[in-house]
Amino acid sequence: MSSLAYAAGLSAAMWRRSLNEVVRVRGALLPTTVAPIIFLLGTAGQFGRLSDLHGFPTTSYLAWILPLSCLQGAGFAGGAAGANLARDIEQGWFDRLLTSPAPRALLLAGPVLAAMTRALVPTTVILSVGLVMGAGLSGGLAGVIALYVAAVWFCMIAALWGSTLALRARTQQVGPLIQNGVFLAVFLSTAYTPLPLLQGWLATFAKYNPVTYVLEMARQATVAGIPPSWAHTWPGLVALSGMTVLFGALALRQLRRVNL
Amino acid sequence: MSAADDQRAILVEDLVRTYPGGLRAVDGVNLEVAPGEIYGFLGPNGAGKSTTVRILTTLLRPTSGRAWVAGHDVVAEAGAARRVIGVALQEAALDPLMTGRELLRLQGALHGLRRAQASERGDDLLERVELVDAADRRVGTYSGGMRRRLDLALALVQRPRVLFLDEPTTGLDPASRAALWREVRALNADGTTVFLTTQYLEEAEQLAERVGIIDRGRIVAEGTPDELKARVGEPALHVDLVDPAEAERARELLAAHGECSHRRGGGLIVRMSGARAIAPVVRTLDEAGIEVDTVEVETPTLDDVFLAVTGHAATDDPAPEPSLSA
Repeated sequence: MSSLAYAAGLSAAMWRRSLNEVVRVRGALLPTTVAPIIFLLGTAGQFGRLSDLHGFPTTSYLAWILPLSCLQGAGFAGGAAGANLARDIEQGWFDRLLTSPAPRALLLAGPVLAAMTRALVPTTVILSVGLVMGAGLSGGLAGVIALYVAAVWFCMIAALWGSTLALRARTQQVGPLIQNGVFLAVFLSTAYTPLPLLQGWLATFAKYNPVTYVLEMARQATVAGIPPSWAHTWPGLVALSGMTVLFGALALRQLRRVNL
Repeated sequence: MSAADDQRAILVEDLVRTYPGGLRAVDGVNLEVAPGEIYGFLGPNGAGKSTTVRILTTLLRPTSGRAWVAGHDVVAEAGAARRVIGVALQEAALDPLMTGRELLRLQGALHGLRRAQASERGDDLLERVELVDAADRRVGTYSGGMRRRLDLALALVQRPRVLFLDEPTTGLDPASRAALWREVRALNADGTTVFLTTQYLEEAEQLAERVGIIDRGRIVAEGTPDELKARVGEPALHVDLVDPAEAERARELLAAHGECSHRRGGGLIVRMSGARAIAPVVRTLDEAGIEVDTVEVETPTLDDVFLAVTGHAATDDPAPEPSLSA
C-alpha cells in the first residue's frame, strides 16, 4: 500500500470514527448550534438599531451579526474536537492510536476533518434561521461560498487549538478553556461593530486580531456594504492560513511531546 | 545493538524513569525476554510495571537507559518497534460508540491493512475470541470479559511478534480469566512472545515461563516459578495426629527427617531437607505406634517468594504509580 493510500485510508477511518460523535449521540450537535442561535436572536433584538450608526456597511444588524454566529457555531464544533481528544487521552483510547505505526499527524487529521464536516451543520442551520428572520444573501453564491470557507476553515483552526490544549493538559477539564479561547477570539474582533466604530484597546486588539479579517470574508454573504471581491477575501485567507500554520505547528509540537 | 542482541525479543538495560516531582517509578531495570517466551512481570500497584510497559510500547520515553523490542530501539526506532508489537493496556480503552467489527477495521487501518484485508482479519479474530455474535453491537453494551477479549483481538490485528498484556485479567470473573489464559497460551504456542504484567501471583504461575518481580521500580527476583519458589525453601509436611498428646514424642522422632516444629491444634510441621518423600515420615510414626490423622504437603507459592524478596505481600500498595495521563 502506498503512503498516500495509507494516509487516505487511515484519515477516512478516523474521520468516520469521529463522526460517530454526531451520528450516534443524540443531540450532540445541539450545544454548538443552539447557543449561537440564541446569541443571534438576542443580539439582533437588543442591538438592532446599531446599524443606524454612521459607518455601518449595512442597514440590517441581523445581516451584520449572522456571519458571526455562523463562525461561532463552527468554532465551537472545532473546539468540541479538542475536548473529545482530551476525553480520548484521559480514557486511554489515544494510547491505542499512539502504539500504532501511524504517522502522528494522521492521528489528528481524521478528527479535525470530522470537525470540519460537523461545522457544516451549525453553519447551515444558523444561516437558515437568519434568512428566515429576514437577513438577505446580498453577496449571492460567491458570498455564501466565502462564508462557508471561512466557517469551515475557522473550525479547523479551533480544532487545532483545542487539540493543542488537549494534548498539553491531557484531561477533559480543559474543555471550557478551549471554548473560552474560541469565544474570546471571536468577540475581541469586529463582532458587534465595524472597526472604525471601535475605540480604545478593543479597536487596537480587533485591528490585529486575525478573526476580524475572517469575519470580513464571511460577511460578504449577507452584508450589502461588503460585496464579494478579492479585496474582502484575501485578508481573510491570509489570516486563516497564518492561524493554520501557527496552531498546526503547536498541535504537532505537542503531539511529538506526548510521550515525554 | 549487536547481532546477538537481535535474538532477544525484549532487551532492557538500566532503564530509569523519573516523573516530574522526582518519583523514580522505574529505577534501573534490566531484563531479557527470549523469542517465544511468556515473561511474567509481577508486582503490586505502583511497583513500576505499567511504567515499564509504557516505555517498552513507546508511549513513554525513559529518563535514562535503553530498551529494544524485536531488535528495535524503542526511542530511536519507535516507528519500527510499533510495527512489531501488539498492546493491550491495563484499562481496555475501547470506543463505546463503535461496534467490535468497526474497531477491528479501524485497527487494521492504523496498521496499514487494506480495507478488505482488515475486514477479513477482523472476522478471523472475532471468531478466535468468540465475539462473532456480538460483532455488530456497540462496545458500550459489552461485558468486562467481552471487552477484554476484544482488546486482545485488537492487539493481534497486525500479527505482532511481541505482545504486551498489561494486567489483562484485572477485574474479570474466574471464567473470563480462564478463557483469556487459554487464549494467551494458544497465542504463545503460535510463536508470539508475550510480556505479561500482573499483580496476580496465580496468573504468573499459570502462564509465565519466567517471572520477574518488580518492587519500587527495581527487579528484586527473576527466574522460573519453580526456581523462585525453591529460593524460599523446601516443601513442608503438615502432620495431624489422632492424639495431640503424642506431638512432642512425634517431634523428637521426626527430627531426623528435617526441621520439625509444633503447629497450632497439636500437629507438626516438618520442613524436609532434600528428601521429599511422605512415606518415611508416616512409617516412622507408624513404627512408633503414633496414629496419623492427616498429612498434607505444602509447597512454597509465589506469594511466599514475593513476601521473602520484598518484605511485603503482593497486594500491598507501597506507592501509587503516577497517573499515566498526568
